[in-house]
Amino acid sequence: MSGEKRAAFEPPAELVRPVEAPPDMKRPVSTSAGAVLVVMRVIAGIVWLIALAAQWDQVLADDGGIDPASTEGEAARAILVVILAFGAVVLLVQVLLAFAVYRGSNAARMALMILATLSIVVSWLDYFAGEEITIRTTLVTLALDILVLLALSSRAARAYARRSRTKRGRR
Amino acid sequence: MGDALVEASESNREPSRTRRFSVNAALDGFFFVFAGVASVWLAWLVLTESFGFGWWGIAFFVVFWLVLAYLVLPRLHRILTTIYVPDYFIGRARTSDGLLGDPVNLAIDGPEASVHAAMLAAGWTRADDITLASTWRIVTGTVTRKSYDEAPVSPLFLFGRQQDFAYQQEVAGNPAKRHHVRFWRTPDGWLLPGGRRVDWLAAGTFDRAVGFSLFTLQITHKIDADTDVERDHIVATVLAANPRAHVHVLADFATGYHSRNGGGDSIRTDGDLPVIDVTDVPAPALAVTRGGDS
Repeated sequence: MSGEKRAAFEPPAELVRPVEAPPDMKRPVSTSAGAVLVVMRVIAGIVWLIALAAQWDQVLADDGGIDPASTEGEAARAILVVILAFGAVVLLVQVLLAFAVYRGSNAARMALMILATLSIVVSWLDYFAGEEITIRTTLVTLALDILVLLALSSRAARAYARRSRTKRGRR
Repeated sequence: MGDALVEASESNREPSRTRRFSVNAALDGFFFVFAGVASVWLAWLVLTESFGFGWWGIAFFVVFWLVLAYLVLPRLHRILTTIYVPDYFIGRARTSDGLLGDPVNLAIDGPEASVHAAMLAAGWTRADDITLASTWRIVTGTVTRKSYDEAPVSPLFLFGRQQDFAYQQEVAGNPAKRHHVRFWRTPDGWLLPGGRRVDWLAAGTFDRAVGFSLFTLQITHKIDADTDVERDHIVATVLAANPRAHVHVLADFATGYHSRNGGGDSIRTDGDLPVIDVTDVPAPALAVTRGGDS
């Protein structure tokens, strides 16, 4: 025993301590729930993209003050295609990551948590810029992002993704 | 993202242990806390939403309660208890949120097979692990009023580990009431305060009703405050069914105390710790019983 006095509280670094789990750990509910929530988030994203495409002319007129029939409006249509294509790629990647998380990949879990965090921070900035977040606007997608983050950052999900694998090689 | 191990420079607070953590683990810690903060915000957004929808606001209020009780508070408890609850043996198990749970009120000596044999012979049923399948069985069992003798018990933690196994006894025809006891294998070479070596520690409590916990705001089993009754019930049933088991009581092991478990229920005890020795209980009966399990 060293003579140094022990701190009156447990070190917060405990939160950072790697969780050890046996290689034969069963997939915890939080990992499955996280993967399912990501898929639901992707579905919400698809709905959002479709809604954007359907209301594109109105969005242009309201937010940009651009007449859809003008040449500017035609050029803006190209922007819509780019947005849709980019959105589709992101959503596809998320589905693949969700599958990888379900399989137990830690890198995919990290990537999804980073995506969810970025999305939450963007909503946060919008919120403080005065935008309302209600069920009619972005509350559902934000709620799904937060639930994904809660599920995937839980101790069980962390332990499952970081468990030592003896039989199966690491991906 | 590499698994490169980084030496923590501020770890010299605990000179006996070299603390190492990876970048991954640091990110994990950040996301763990960030998700907690974000969930508070989510609860607030749902609450404000409940003001604007007339009668539908009640539905939003229920959602708010679910988010608060089952997502926000557990995560905040987990973060705070990690810091302020001592992580060494204090005679109490901890809940998955890190709160103090049921009192450790029983100890066992003997190999695992003998513990199983003694408990099964004494009329106890081993609880299933919590899985999606067993959770689904609880839901269907509640709806169809079919009894589920092997219903899983909630996880409690000792030595930083979930219980190794748990046993329970149904009270005839009442799913809200049950006897249950959780077992943890003690770490190798670990001694009880006072210096005695035991192989297993156990926490036995009696669920008397299902109710609303003012501590966690969750719906949970309420346990009977007099945990000594349950402890003595376990000892009596094991001794009655296993003539080769015997008990040695460590009197006043824990001084009598009043406290609360993780759900906010009062608990009290006289502080005695019975140590049941099941080393001589023949184990072969176990293979037959467990072999029938799916």
